[in-house]
Amino acid sequence: MISINKNKFILLVLVCLTCIYNVNAQTFISRNVKINIFSSTPVEDIKAASNGGNAVLITSTQEIAVQLAIKSLSFDKKLMQEHFNENYMESDKYPLAKFKGNFEPKIDWSKDGEYTVAAKGILSVHGIDQPRTITGKIAIKNGMITLNSNFDVACAAHKIKIPSLVFTKIAEVIKINIQATLTSLK
Amino acid sequence: MTKNKLLIYLFLIMTLLALRASAQTTDSLLNSLDSSKKYNKVESTFKATHIVLSHSTETQKKHDLDLRIRHHFGDIGGEFGSAHTLYGLDVATDLFIGLDYGVSDKLTIGIGRSKHDELFDLYIKQKLIQQKKDSGMPFNLTFLAQIGLVARAPFATTEFANYSDRITYLIQPILSRKFSSRISLQVMPSYLLRSVSADQNDPENIFSIGFAGRVKLTKRLSFVADYTMVSGLSRPNNLTVPLYNPLGVGLEIETGGHIFSLNFMNSEYITENNFIANTKKSWTEGGVRFGFTISRNFSLFKSKNKDPNTKSTIY
Repeated sequence: MISINKNKFILLVLVCLTCIYNVNAQTFISRNVKINIFSSTPVEDIKAASNGGNAVLITSTQEIAVQLAIKSLSFDKKLMQEHFNENYMESDKYPLAKFKGNFEPKIDWSKDGEYTVAAKGILSVHGIDQPRTITGKIAIKNGMITLNSNFDVACAAHKIKIPSLVFTKIAEVIKINIQATLTSLK
Repeated sequence: MTKNKLLIYLFLIMTLLALRASAQTTDSLLNSLDSSKKYNKVESTFKATHIVLSHSTETQKKHDLDLRIRHHFGDIGGEFGSAHTLYGLDVATDLFIGLDYGVSDKLTIGIGRSKHDELFDLYIKQKLIQQKKDSGMPFNLTFLAQIGLVARAPFATTEFANYSDRITYLIQPILSRKFSSRISLQVMPSYLLRSVSADQNDPENIFSIGFAGRVKLTKRLSFVADYTMVSGLSRPNNLTVPLYNPLGVGLEIETGGHIFSLNFMNSEYITENNFIANTKKSWTEGGVRFGFTISRNFSLFKSKNKDPNTKSTIY
């Protein structure tokens, strides 16, 4: 039988484990990102909210990704929610909305502090990718990272069609608010 | 030699593991967090609680009230149709006003009143099984129980000798499946209990099977149809006044809270307790008629929602 050089093996394992540990220490996640959407017209204001968004942040590359299961958005009127999923977002076909990008400028993630940042990347909604730069605030405190961002999504840019019959009730540009508290991935 | 090889091999594996760990980037992490699979209910098998003539498996959403106005005109062709009645538009064989209310997302109660026989009806409809993606529940099952009361004065002194003669009961389990976003099909066996029938060969209690379907033409426009098989099952063909199986086809247009249906059917009557048993017109003899349904949905108890994040306002 073949004998294994134990010392070398242990060394290797240690090196690799350190690698894995390092990577994980730089990764922050959240499973309960708050996402609010808001449509405002002179006729009707419509709001919907979800606490079920996910976010991943890799500090070494300043990479941020946020995704939301569209069906987790909850409306006041359930029939409206059904129409939102069925007629507008086609949630069975496109179950997720997603943003993936990189933060600018470079941030020192090890220090507590607050930053105004921009994330440049791709926003994917209704199966349509749009290059976007989304601004927001980052607060770092006691190893927790809080993100807060307000931005707009134009329905037309993502091929979400609003029929003329309900045109006065649904805004062409939907306001989005995202609040996330990320913790280190252990 | 072998030992070296093994070491190289091990080293490669470990590097791979390490690489995998560092390659565990946003994408794979997000995939592992993905919660969209949780939302696996197959919704909106049909847009409305009714198809053309029959009920669908859909129930009202919780606290939603549906006001439903239905109209069946007269025969387009034949003896009673043609230009003299403007192809039936001068005639109303039946009118219906009904209210359907969602006690919960799965339980709906409804009341209605038809012009024909001055029939009042009351029903309860309970969704029992919800179709789901991936997890192996391939169909919807809804149970319908409906009671009808004929309120009109008797035509002959012998009619309605007992008060119970005015009452009919319908029991109907409804099975449906959304095959794709465009196509949904439904089967509904039903049992109608009556105390009397007009023809001595016509049984009081009638077993029937209905078939219904939807083909979505666009997001808001569907072609819908339903057919109820009565003759050929529990009802013989040797009746003095022939009775026919009801068939309805229609276009269903959804515009937010409203649904408009433009239908053609041979049945003169609107409520199951009437049309399953008493359809006297046939598609082949000009007995087809135009009909429409207007449905308006109201969300009640909105003020109960205190969450500012989901509160909608109509100005």
